[in-house]
Parts: sequence; structure tokens; C-alpha cells
Amino acid sequence: MKRLQAALWVEFLKVRRTKILPVSFFFFMFIGVMMGMLLFLSMHPELASHSSTISMKTSFLGGSDWNAFYELLIQIILTVGVIGFGFITSWSFGREFSDRAIKDLLALPVSRTTLVISKFLVLFVWSILLGITVLLTAMGTGLLIQIPGWSPAALYPFIGKYMVCVFLNALIITPVALVASIGRGYMLPISFVILILIITQLIFVGLPGLSFWFPWAIPSLYSRVAGEAIPAPGIISYLLFLITILAGLFGTLFWWRYADHK
Amino acid sequence: MTDVIFTEKLTKHYKDVQAVTEVNLNIKQGEIYGFLGLNGAGKTTTIRMLMGMIRPTGGSAYLFGKKVKPGVSKLWNSVGHMVEIPFAYPELTVQENLRIFYRLRLLKDPLLLTTVVEKLDLGKYLNTRVKNLSLGNAQRLGLAKAMIHRPDLLILDEPANGLDPAGIVQIREQLLDLAENHGVTIFISSHILGEISRFASRIGIIHEGRMIRESEVDQLDSSRHRSLQINTLDNSKALPLLKEHGYNTRVLPGGILESTHKKAISQPEKVSALLVSHGLPPKLIAVDEEDLEHYFLRIIQTEDQKS
Repeated sequence: MKRLQAALWVEFLKVRRTKILPVSFFFFMFIGVMMGMLLFLSMHPELASHSSTISMKTSFLGGSDWNAFYELLIQIILTVGVIGFGFITSWSFGREFSDRAIKDLLALPVSRTTLVISKFLVLFVWSILLGITVLLTAMGTGLLIQIPGWSPAALYPFIGKYMVCVFLNALIITPVALVASIGRGYMLPISFVILILIITQLIFVGLPGLSFWFPWAIPSLYSRVAGEAIPAPGIISYLLFLITILAGLFGTLFWWRYADHK
Repeated sequence: MTDVIFTEKLTKHYKDVQAVTEVNLNIKQGEIYGFLGLNGAGKTTTIRMLMGMIRPTGGSAYLFGKKVKPGVSKLWNSVGHMVEIPFAYPELTVQENLRIFYRLRLLKDPLLLTTVVEKLDLGKYLNTRVKNLSLGNAQRLGLAKAMIHRPDLLILDEPANGLDPAGIVQIREQLLDLAENHGVTIFISSHILGEISRFASRIGIIHEGRMIRESEVDQLDSSRHRSLQINTLDNSKALPLLKEHGYNTRVLPGGILESTHKKAISQPEKVSALLVSHGLPPKLIAVDEEDLEHYFLRIIQTEDQKS
């Protein structure tokens, strides 16, 4: 426990002093506000009549009320969750290699396993906080622009579903950490995150049947964001999701412990 | 007594590179061991194997009698290390970087931090971000991280890199003090024999991954080439004269005579008297001693010729 505490203190210090921390929160706040603004334009289509792009985007919304806003927020957290949480994971693991600080972390009384676990714990909390940031800023913006159809009864199930999506996306960062460790830097994991995002989109558009076998699609399937026509994921999908998380976690632990660190 | 460092046929071969081949080391407590080699000789690979950073493809390494293998975290309580150019977290200050290792080494005495900062003259830079440090001060920070917990064994990879002459002397004196007065064992790699021989008690020379020579520093003197160099008004007469009197002598490319005869080197005044008595007073007579770097290169060249 003493060792984990020390490792967490160190990880927290590194995160606290990086510019990525405020940048990530500003980015997620911006997303929250922008979602509110998008719904505002949907409520007032005359404002966007000159911009076909904005008109097209607002037309995707299933309405201009709170329910449509909730759907929008679920959709957006599923996407920015993969990108944002993947990005901070790429930074946290990749920087140890890019800054060549890794070699000082390999022969310490605090084991490599403890160091990796502390990184995951900090990243998990960071990701959850980023998810909450989008939620709070979006809800604040929603209240400010007075979206019609407020219903406390719909709010709680939405928050529950939204937080589960955040939670699932925050868990599936482990393969990104493994790619960052094997790639010894930022570039490979960031490319990996972008690839995952593209594959997820392609599967949903072109091969929806495959989405049940693709771990990164499971949070979307769980949220039923694609509509009730696509069934909820079954036990095998959740099992694949769990296996991917564990493979990323144990793969990273194994890599740090056994790989040659040249 | 158990060797502080013991390796048995320590080997690391990559697909097409034989980085280190069957290196045997046995280093006792309080020794300062100089590990010499040219760039790419296998010094850093050996150090990385000692620190468990890379796994040997053959043989084993032991520190304090314990085998170096994954998961031996407690072993590192007694070891301080600096491998290659020291890097630290660039956006953090010197103090924060040191605090990281204070915490990760589970230290509880804040005096340890103050002491190491004083010893390495880092006081002025405590609040400086590492990215703004000079190479020399980054090197001092690397050494501070290695020494903060007062280890029983220090493994340092080319610690003099980037230090100015005053810094080199300061670090050398501190390492000597640690070894002589505190029983700390020091394993230090370098490619400069002249520097290392000033404070190491023993040296090992590694070349192309193999240990080719190991000796006490005291024995270095007897291993180095010595000769007597002579120049007279007429070397064509002096040469047969010296040979006639039993002094092995040859003509060097510049026309100067060189004798490697032991008696000539130990008693040059007798050679001088001989030449004077035959009307060939020497313009130059001096004992020439091979310097340490030439000695180091000669050993390596001899090895190259053998292979």
C-alpha cells in the first residue's frame, strides 16, 4: 500500500504539472458548450439558415428538447471518450519513453507493476472527471439556453447511462497503454486511437453485424445510440470487452516487467 | 565475503549483434571498478543487465548475492544508478524531480534530500525546470537521483559526461570518499582510461562485447610501454655503438634512436656516459612512457589483430 501511495503521489505530481491537464479539461468543457450551442441552433433554425453544414448537423438531432440533447450527449461522449481518454493514455505512457525517463523507473523499491497500476488509476479518475466535465458544462449550457421539455424523471436514467458510457470508455484505455509501451512513445498509440475510431464508425455504417465482435463498439451498443433496431450487446460481447481490457492491462504489466528496455 | 557484483558468463546477443559475450565480473565491497571500453563496446548493455533493464540471453548477474531478475524490487534499495545521459521530467523542477525519487525510494528522512542537494551543488537550481538546465547540471541531477538514498552500490555510466573540469574533480573526490570512508562499492564506466585510473582500484577493459583485460590500477604502470629516446650528432655511429654494448636499439621514422632495453630505461645516465666517451654527446636523452590512452588503444588493437 505504501508503495502504491508513493507511486500515486508521483503520478499525480506529473499530471498536475503538465499542460495536457488544463488543455484536456478546456477541450472537454468546449465540447459540452458546443453541444449546447448545437441544440440552441436546432431550437432556432433561422439562425443557421445561411450555413448548410450547421443546418445538416442540427438536422441529425431527433428534436430540440432535453431528450434529443441527452441522446446527443451520449453520442458525443462515446466519440470524444475514445479520443480524449486514448490521448491522455498515450501521453501518460508514451512520455516515459519519449522523455527517456523510463530507465530511472525500472530499478526502484516501488515495482514496475505498482507504477503501471498507479498510472491506470490516475488515468481512470482523470477520464471520469473529463466525462463529468462534458456533462456539467453541457447541462449548464442547456439550462442557460432554456431547452424545452425538462423532466427530472428522464434526467436520472440519462445520467446513469451517460456515466456507464464514460466508465466503459475509461476502462478500455488499457490496450492504448500497451501500444504506447511497445511503440515507446506517443505516435503509435495516437495512430491506434484514430484507427479504432475509424474502424468503429465504418463497422456501424457498413457492417453493423460485426459491431458485436468489436470491443470498442460495445459502449455504443450498450447505449442503444444507433436506435432500438440494433439489439443490445449479449454476454459474448461483454466478455470480449472484458478480455480486451484485461489483455491491455496484463499486456502492459508484462511488457514493463519483462521486455528489454534499451 | 560475497561479491557485491558477480556475473557469470553474462551474455546478450541480439539477432545479428553480439552485444556482450560471457562477461565475468567479481567486485568486492568498497572497490571502485572502472569499466572501460570504446563507444559500442558493450558497457551500457552490461550495466543494463546488471540493473535488470534487459534480460541476458546467457549467464547471470548477481548483486549482493541475489540474482538480478524481474520482481526483485527490494534489491534496488541498496543500489543507485545512472545509465547513459541522465534524463528527467522536463516540465518539473529539480526539486520535484528529486522528490519523485525520494518518494519512489520510500525514504523518510528529509535530510537526505538536503544533503544530496548540497553535495552536488544543486541548491541554486532547485526551482529551475529541468528543461532549462545545462548538460552539466542535468548530469548532477542524475547523480543526485542515484545517490539520494545513500546506496551501498553505485552503478554509474560515464558520469563525467558534460561536467566541467571542476565538476569532474568534485565528483571524483566524492566517489573516493564514498568508497574509502563509507564502504560504498562503485562500478563506473568510461572510455577515458586517464580519468578512471585516477581513482579506480581495478579496471576491466571490454571490447566488442568481450572482457579483454582486467588489472589492478597499480599494475598499469608495469604494463605500459617504456623506452629511452636518444638523439646524437651522428646517429649512424651511435646505433652500432649502442648495439655493441647490448642495448637493443632501433631507428624511429624521424631518425631518432629508441631503446627498449630495461637497463637503458632504468639507467639512462650510463647510456649518456657511453655516448659521450665515444664523442657522440646526446642532444636528447629521455625516458618515454606510453600514456594511458595509447596503452588502452594498444590493448584493443592487439585484440583486433588476434581476431
